[in-house]
Amino acid sequence: MSRQNDGFDFHDGLPQQFLDVVYRAVNFFAKWDRLSTLVGAVNLAVFRDRLRAHNLHHAGYGIGTSDDWSAGNARWRSPDGSFNSLGHPRMGMAGSRFGRNFPLPECVPDSGDDLLDPSPRVISRELLARRTFIPATTLNLLAAAWIQFETHNWFSHGLPKRGDEFKIPLHPDDDWPDRVDGCMQIRRTLKDETPRETWLGAAPTFRNNNSHWWDAGQIYGSSHSRQAEIRSHTDGKITIGPDGMLPEDPKHPGADLTGFNDNWWVGLSLLHNLFAREHNALCDALKARYPAWCDEELFQRARLINAALIAKIHTIEWTPGILAHPALKFSMRANWSGVPYRVMRFVLGKNSEAAYGIPGSPTDQHSAPYAMTEEFTSVYRLHPLIPDEMDVRRLDRGEQVRCELVNMQGVSTRVFMEDHGFTNLLYSFGTNHPGAIRLHNFPNFLRRFEKVDQPLLDVAAIDIMRDRERGVPRYNRFRELVGKRRVGTFEEITSIPGAAAKMREIYKSVDRVDLLVGLLAEDLPEGFGFSDTAFRIFILMASRRLKSDRFFTDDYRPEVYTQFGLDWIDNNGLKSVLLRHVPQLGPALEGVTNGFAPWNVL
Amino acid sequence: MAFTINIPGIIRLVVVRTPDEVLAVNDASMVGRSLSGRGGLANRSVAAKLAVFRTPGGDIWPAFRDRLDPLRAAHQAALEATLSNVGPLLQRIAPEIAELGGYVRDGTAHRSTGVIVQQAVGRLFFADYAASEESYDAARTLQAWLSAGPLRTFWIRSWGALQVSLDRIMDLSRGDMACAHATAIAMDNIVRSIEAMRRLARQGDSLTKIGPQDALAQTLRAPARVVREARDGGCAGRVRLRARSLVLLAVESARQKRADPGFAFFASAWNRCPAHSVVPALLADVWRAAKADREGRA
Repeated sequence: MSRQNDGFDFHDGLPQQFLDVVYRAVNFFAKWDRLSTLVGAVNLAVFRDRLRAHNLHHAGYGIGTSDDWSAGNARWRSPDGSFNSLGHPRMGMAGSRFGRNFPLPECVPDSGDDLLDPSPRVISRELLARRTFIPATTLNLLAAAWIQFETHNWFSHGLPKRGDEFKIPLHPDDDWPDRVDGCMQIRRTLKDETPRETWLGAAPTFRNNNSHWWDAGQIYGSSHSRQAEIRSHTDGKITIGPDGMLPEDPKHPGADLTGFNDNWWVGLSLLHNLFAREHNALCDALKARYPAWCDEELFQRARLINAALIAKIHTIEWTPGILAHPALKFSMRANWSGVPYRVMRFVLGKNSEAAYGIPGSPTDQHSAPYAMTEEFTSVYRLHPLIPDEMDVRRLDRGEQVRCELVNMQGVSTRVFMEDHGFTNLLYSFGTNHPGAIRLHNFPNFLRRFEKVDQPLLDVAAIDIMRDRERGVPRYNRFRELVGKRRVGTFEEITSIPGAAAKMREIYKSVDRVDLLVGLLAEDLPEGFGFSDTAFRIFILMASRRLKSDRFFTDDYRPEVYTQFGLDWIDNNGLKSVLLRHVPQLGPALEGVTNGFAPWNVL
Repeated sequence: MAFTINIPGIIRLVVVRTPDEVLAVNDASMVGRSLSGRGGLANRSVAAKLAVFRTPGGDIWPAFRDRLDPLRAAHQAALEATLSNVGPLLQRIAPEIAELGGYVRDGTAHRSTGVIVQQAVGRLFFADYAASEESYDAARTLQAWLSAGPLRTFWIRSWGALQVSLDRIMDLSRGDMACAHATAIAMDNIVRSIEAMRRLARQGDSLTKIGPQDALAQTLRAPARVVREARDGGCAGRVRLRARSLVLLAVESARQKRADPGFAFFASAWNRCPAHSVVPALLADVWRAAKADREGRA
């Protein structure tokens, strides 16, 4: 135990230690993705245990107590995520610091000129810029919207402010229009102004404006005041306009009034509207069963159920959709509902997360207090999923029109939604592909992006700088720290034609390759939509979001959720939610087993 | 020319010995003070050795903190401000300087040179710091811990000498990490400088002929080795570093090739020793004291 990790320590049993040794030997000969389904799934569990032991690091809370919680309400999620852990009430609370997946001395930014080397703008132009759209043909565009919907639940570093910008020198032939003294300027991440603990060393810290928990904070907000704004205060429901859609946020033109609406676009509006409707349907169903419940009780119970349903959809639909490997599909199902083998369940026992799934198993923080990590935010930089254009189809008339995504975001969002309609846009998203998460597939409109109250943005260059300024290790060291072998040559990273040569020209040394570039360049395991290196963080954090959360573990029980609520979660998925609120989508979803796979074009 | 050893699983080491290379590697972004212990068994062993230099509360001593650590910078600035007030500080330790002067001149003193030096260094921080044979033994144990082989390392740790020494040094330093570092580890450079002065004084009539600044230039000793780790591979000046190499900066060896006395203190680098003014002044005063006594007797 150490004070650095607030007293938390990882304990592994003899079987885990034994499996660790066995799989070190197995992996010497074969990678996990070449093993049979069950053996591969156990391999993933072994990876997860190693990561739980070595890759969770506390960076302090950086925050005091919460005003958004009142004693006696421990059966509900607090608006700001405080008191999820009753023993460590600040854990995961909105405003608390991001944690780390690596020891803090590894999370130190480059010093001096090395921080800007090589130029993020050159990387944006030479390695990331989309030449022709590379589609991810096993997915539909809702999968892209979904992950942004989820990351808005998990983290926000806040909107950068003017002052002390990074100045990126521009090449003479660069056509960047917003030059200042021959440079592109990138605003820094908001500083963490809270007192630093002496043991943090040189690792920079940043605070998460959102609650870290998987609590559907993107819908319900991360503060009491925001939650009050989105509620109708009648029967626990979220405010819906007369047209059946979320009203406009008066402080954020073009965006819907919801828990968190930064970087707003049509994809987010669709999912927010869908799950606001789901919340209200849950309120109706709960009120019918518990007529004496007040507005607050109905709201909070419906929130618990809705948040768990979203977590379930993410776990067993979105994830196997984008990482379509049999071992992973098996593992994600096991994460949620356990293994399908009675003998194994009996042997492992009632409290085993492997046997019965994480929901309902004992809460465990493993080796550090729960927090989203900077490395987690880095591996979820998935902007290549966004296309520059899409076909907007009309469900009723079979027409389609080509639209640019730049006209479907920001202040234009609500107008676009009104012009094309909720149903047609859902259908269109279900029948378009997102981009593949690869080099040379970064949406070009985001590389010259206008955002209210911000200078002109090259989001690709910003993505590179964010990892660097936050001290996230570059690609090769990142590999090492998640338990993979360092690569010695650019060719070991990628077989994308011409990419290794271009990377060598820009980076010179393989150890200088930026994390994002390495992740986008890396050759993928069979069926994978993103890199195996990013996946290592994912293995750890996907389970952790559930296992650390009292409401998915100790308190995932009828007394808290109601039996009706647990059944609702068990019996629903994205497809049933879609069909409940937009039954016109029935023919498009006919025969579709995963809501994130391409739907039928009618 | 840097010297590299790479035996997979055992050691990954780079020894840097020329002044330009030492400065280039010291300044390289991929080279840091934090040791991960990766790279081989020897790398792990060295990392484990340095990891013990912490306060009882777990804080790393400033001299082992990384370049961008704000606490290191703050400590360095505050300590440098304190130690730059050279005149009054030397006045405070005048008795110890006289004692050391006597030793340089005659080769004898009432107590061991190490104790006198430790007390002089300690009194730069606390006017009433009192060193003893026990406290100097503690410092020597910690110095031995850093350079010992595996068996001696095991012996020092398992018999409790390491913890006792750390506790004694921290107690005497009243929790001041900079004082602990100075009185346990950095003081050894001064002891070696004093011994060099003694050897110089014994050579004919050096004591009469050589002035304090020349004596200082001839006897100032830098740390023999400073340890770093290359987190990533790359080039620092002409030195090619492999990722996770343990980097030994042979500062004393490099210093001998450069006339600038500031080199021993990394005076123009980010990790400038806060004592870069006071130590040369102290040594010059020791020579002056030895000289004055000699001339007084004559």
